[in-house]
Amino acid sequence: MARFIFRSIISTIVTMLLVSITLFILLEFERPSVAKERPCSGIIRKILGIMATPEQCVSFRNQLGIDQPLPLRYVDWLAGNDWRAESKTGYPLVTLDNLNSGEEEWWMEVDGRYMQFEIDGEDLVALVRQEDGFVEREVMNDLWRPNDDGAGEQFWGVDNKGRAVKWLLGSGKTAFISTQTGWQEIDNAPDDYLPLRKGMLRGDPGFSLRTNRPVNSQIFRRIRNTALLAGLAFAVVMPLALVLGIVAGVNEGKLIDRVISVGGLFGTATPEFVTGMLLILVFAIWLKMFPAVSVFTTDKLSLSDWKKFALPVLTLTTVELGYIIRMTRASMVEVMNTSYIRTAIIKGMPFKRVVFKHAIRNALMAPITIIMLHVNWLIGGIVVVEAIFGYPGLGTYIYDSAIFGDVNALEASAMVTVLVAVVTRLLGDLAYTYLNPRIRYS
Amino acid sequence: MTVATAKPKAPPGRFGRFLKTAAIIFESRVATIGLFMVLFWIVAGLISLVWTPHDPNASDFMINQGSSAQNWLGTDALGRDVFSRVMAGTQVILLKTRIPDINWFGSFTTPNFVMPGGVAIWGVLGSLTLGSVLGLNAGYRGGWWDQAISQVMDALIAFPRIVLYLVVIAALGTGDLVMVLAISITGAPGIARLARSLALDIKTRDYIRAAETRGEGKTYIMFKEILPNALGPLLVDAMLRVGYAIFTIGTLGFLGVGLPPPEPDWGSMIADSRKFMRSTLYPILAPAFAISSLVIGLNLFADGLREEITRFQK
Repeated sequence: MARFIFRSIISTIVTMLLVSITLFILLEFERPSVAKERPCSGIIRKILGIMATPEQCVSFRNQLGIDQPLPLRYVDWLAGNDWRAESKTGYPLVTLDNLNSGEEEWWMEVDGRYMQFEIDGEDLVALVRQEDGFVEREVMNDLWRPNDDGAGEQFWGVDNKGRAVKWLLGSGKTAFISTQTGWQEIDNAPDDYLPLRKGMLRGDPGFSLRTNRPVNSQIFRRIRNTALLAGLAFAVVMPLALVLGIVAGVNEGKLIDRVISVGGLFGTATPEFVTGMLLILVFAIWLKMFPAVSVFTTDKLSLSDWKKFALPVLTLTTVELGYIIRMTRASMVEVMNTSYIRTAIIKGMPFKRVVFKHAIRNALMAPITIIMLHVNWLIGGIVVVEAIFGYPGLGTYIYDSAIFGDVNALEASAMVTVLVAVVTRLLGDLAYTYLNPRIRYS
Repeated sequence: MTVATAKPKAPPGRFGRFLKTAAIIFESRVATIGLFMVLFWIVAGLISLVWTPHDPNASDFMINQGSSAQNWLGTDALGRDVFSRVMAGTQVILLKTRIPDINWFGSFTTPNFVMPGGVAIWGVLGSLTLGSVLGLNAGYRGGWWDQAISQVMDALIAFPRIVLYLVVIAALGTGDLVMVLAISITGAPGIARLARSLALDIKTRDYIRAAETRGEGKTYIMFKEILPNALGPLLVDAMLRVGYAIFTIGTLGFLGVGLPPPEPDWGSMIADSRKFMRSTLYPILAPAFAISSLVIGLNLFADGLREEITRFQK
């Protein structure tokens, strides 16, 4: 058993690694020649739109750090690049919480003081962090170091956007930055950028390209919201589906079985969005019982707004009911045809007692573990339902990120869904092995 | 099986054998019903290639009208005939795949080449090819081949399907070919798993031993000995997957990242008409009914066929 657990865990870790590689290559792979010839192609085109000029795209690529080779970026993404940046800056880099927003910011520790840097004309200006969270400006021109090729002076430091950057003294280099009012060309721009991140393994997926804020500031809230929705749906679906499945399984071949099975098939074969539309039609437009969208005005979702949860939960229920019913029914039918149940019936035991005492316990084991093995299927349903109703969960986050081309957010949230699926599958495997001695030692 | 005694001419031709095999379908009532539901939509699509009541893309009428003698299922928010659009919506899924010009400035150019066979069909064929090649190799060769292939397939299966679709679309954009690719990638692991288990079973048979003793190569054994014997279950599974693919194309169309316009697509029809739900329901209900009935038809067909085949094998 210990060996089996060990093997499963190792295999799960390998799976996660493969998933991360797949995801990374899918989203960030680009042939270097293509990137050079058409800097605006691919995801950059998606983010910047079709009006961006090649110079802007090149500058943007540099700012995102995606002009580096793919394997290096993968390591950065997975394990972080602050250690790599530290070897360039020569000073330790730390993250401190912003006292206003609570978001993590990168600072460089110079002689016990925390600093970020910017360029003002020819001067290198340090923004020194005070106790109260405010900064004081200080000119620190003595930090300039000789350039790599000895021709001028350079400085590797941290700017105020969480990037390690290299300034060349008096280079006059310009960069294009995207602001709310459009593209801006700035002077005295850094020569090279390295967006700092701690890496997925240390729980930091980096900055969202859509909001320019850490993905972490959004994603945890989204996960919680989705967990709330999924939990509610689960609490409704499971008892209902198990009861209906058992009823159908016990009455195999009778009218009630046909009705339940065919009803379940229709529920499952109807796409989530169609079911959602029909429910909106009935409950929001005709009966006016529930709102047609789940848009919340605050960040903190609470169940006192239960009406807004009603339609998403109902949609999920309808869609997933049929599937679980089918599992339960099949399992129940199988158990009811075993010889020990026949024996119990023949020996004159009351039918109710046979079903409740003997059959159910064995019949429920399979569907519950099988459901755990198919959690990724259930997650898929939640993604669509969230997108239909505009529910502020992980699903809409994935959808919005995919539309925008926000690779950092998309990778992080996809990894979360895969992690949930893989871990529940592992647990399901273990539970199944534990509960079923027949396959335990094979 | 009905015994074909009526034909004394000894070997029936290829077509005759095909008919005989196809007769299995009609032994199962479920499969027959399913087949007719699917045929209904195929026929509707084929007719729409040459004739629809009105031009499906022309805004010829008043907007958001209900059912009338002129527009049997009313009109949508741009004044297009819903009946014609639902008919023509079958094309992109089942009957044609548009291969666009290579054009870097947007996807709204007229496709210069149309391939017969819809996006769902090509996608499933892709995953069938990819999946069975991988699965046969894993199952027949065993050892490290099996370990490596199974591990990669496990990783792909771990993705919630819709998330993988969204990732592929974020990376490659929308388009018929991207959708074919996405369906192939997401479908392949399931088929590979099935092919692997079938290969594991079949490779213990005597005729495989015989082929090995004859000195046949591994590729020959996999594709000439194992594959034909595994084809039945694989095809049934592929049939189910066409249903899933249609389902997903609809969902992605609804989310606005499905098959590109101008050809009507059921999912995006629903999404476009959603805002006008209070005025007219036809543009929502008609495509919704189309998707559901086609998927249910495929499900019934595949289920019935599977039942019949397994009974035949027992």
